[in-house]
Amino acid sequence: MEVFIAQVINGLSLGSVYVLLVTGFNLLLLVALIIHFSYPQVVVLSMYISWTVMNLTGNNIILGILAGILSSIILNMAMAPIFQRVMRNRGQVDINSTLVISMAIGMIVTDILSHGFNRGFPISFSETLAGNQSSLTIGLINISQGQVYTLVVGIIGVSAFFWLLYKTRSGRAFRAIAEDPSGAKQVGIPLLRTGLASYALTGLLGGVTAVLLAVLLGSASPGLGEQVAHKVLAVSIIAGLGNLAGGLVVGLGLGIMEALIQGYVAGSWSNAIAFIILLVVMLIKPRGVFGMKL
Amino acid sequence: MEQSNTLLDVKKLEVSYGHVDALKGVDVTVNQGEIVVLIGANGAGKTTLLDTILGINTPRSGSIQYNGTDITGRSADINVREGLTIVPEGRGVFTSMTVTDNLLLGAHHNMHESSDKIERVYQWFPILKERSDQMAGTLSGGERQMLAIGRALMSAPRIILVDEPSIGLAPIIVNNIIEILVNLNKEGYTILLSEQNAYKALKIAHRGYVLETGQVVLSGTAEELLEDPAVKDAYLGA
Ligand SMILES: Nc1ncnc2c1ncn2[C@@H]1O[C@H](COP(=O)(O)OP(=O)(O)OP(=O)(O)O)[C@@H](O)[C@H]1O
Ligand SMILES: [Mg+2]
Repeated sequence: MEVFIAQVINGLSLGSVYVLLVTGFNLLLLVALIIHFSYPQVVVLSMYISWTVMNLTGNNIILGILAGILSSIILNMAMAPIFQRVMRNRGQVDINSTLVISMAIGMIVTDILSHGFNRGFPISFSETLAGNQSSLTIGLINISQGQVYTLVVGIIGVSAFFWLLYKTRSGRAFRAIAEDPSGAKQVGIPLLRTGLASYALTGLLGGVTAVLLAVLLGSASPGLGEQVAHKVLAVSIIAGLGNLAGGLVVGLGLGIMEALIQGYVAGSWSNAIAFIILLVVMLIKPRGVFGMKL
Repeated sequence: MEQSNTLLDVKKLEVSYGHVDALKGVDVTVNQGEIVVLIGANGAGKTTLLDTILGINTPRSGSIQYNGTDITGRSADINVREGLTIVPEGRGVFTSMTVTDNLLLGAHHNMHESSDKIERVYQWFPILKERSDQMAGTLSGGERQMLAIGRALMSAPRIILVDEPSIGLAPIIVNNIIEILVNLNKEGYTILLSEQNAYKALKIAHRGYVLETGQVVLSGTAEELLEDPAVKDAYLGA
């Protein structure tokens, strides 16, 4: 039972990272009208930037966190013109062409991580950030501080995002574009500017996620982004592309499932098992468990 | 007509979609305080004209003057900010959003005193108040049309472009909507209305234009058009 509880908590903190990433991915899909499946790779790039800044500043955690978040926002905003220019050149919103751009970005990022940082070796974050050594013990259950931080920040982050989406003027505009971009234009919503805001918000979500991944995993490697990207894409499709609430449920579900597999079976099988389940769900529910929102 | 009275002045407007020439040199003026109706069959170019005025389409040539300023090619969000608004063909309400959210979208560019604006819309359309937390997708066709008009009012417009409001509505509801447009006009809103329901529209309009395959083939006061044999023949039925 203790293993079970510990792994569920473990899974929830991992799951909240997936949820943040899926949310960012879906936001770009719904509001910026692009498929940016390499977005998690960019998040891992921010982890590397955060790591570099901490190395240069003698492990200044505040600066490291700031660097992770700011770099993610800047990287995302910098990609917006590329996506928008290609869409404009093709004369229409064109999801397929954005897919190619995203793929290119992912490849480039992975190459940069393999050659530009730490000679391609995995990086490890300072123990003070990772917070793994000091753990919370309740009975026989051991929970690391990092897991608690991740879970708490994940909950706050996702709640804040949904608050913004449903209670603010920008969120309303996001939802309008998500439902009907040309209708949104007719009521006077500036599509480009609002789209740009969604890149910034996605960058913020990604930056927070970069820090949480550093805290939770304590390390990163050039291949991490691709691995996470596959899972995020899978979660989004299983939940139903663009379905934010669905992404929340399935993202947490995947985290818990992986943690339980790690706790009871063998950790190395968790990817294979997760993707077998994806295949089964795709066969049963071709449009996703919660339906597409496109 | 006095020049200073002109709110909207469309000159030699040409719009094409790829190889399709939808407007082939259209001249339309709307004076402050008027209801002007555009009559035309399917595909005549009514929606294209209204959308282009709002800034959705970019014209190939010609000009659009609004309130003395050249707004040709200016984007819709700026035009809405400056007092143009549209009630789109097919209502264009956001079905997965609440009635309140739909209304607030109309005031996106200026949320100042938005709750007062909503109250005023509710005075026009009390039914929307009862439905305020309902998804717009659950509304009837007539209610959606009211919502689309209410949303347009939320932007504090000077001129409202209304694209075929009667489409798909029962005659009694159509009368209702037409009456609302008359009352809005009395309140000072200028209205440019496209309609296939020519008789009802001309009855409330000051002036009208007949559009055929992207060209104005006839224009005049509403009385003149109602009496015109060609109009009677083509648009007023028996
Ligand atoms: N997006 C588009 N792409 C290509 N052609 C278009 C497009 N929109 C309109 N057209 C064409 O432009 C012409 C004018 O269409 P428009 O929708 O303006 O007519 P309308 O008078 O509003 O017709 P309706 O009464 O059916 O709404 C038509 O020939 C139509 O086929
Ligand atoms: Mg039309």
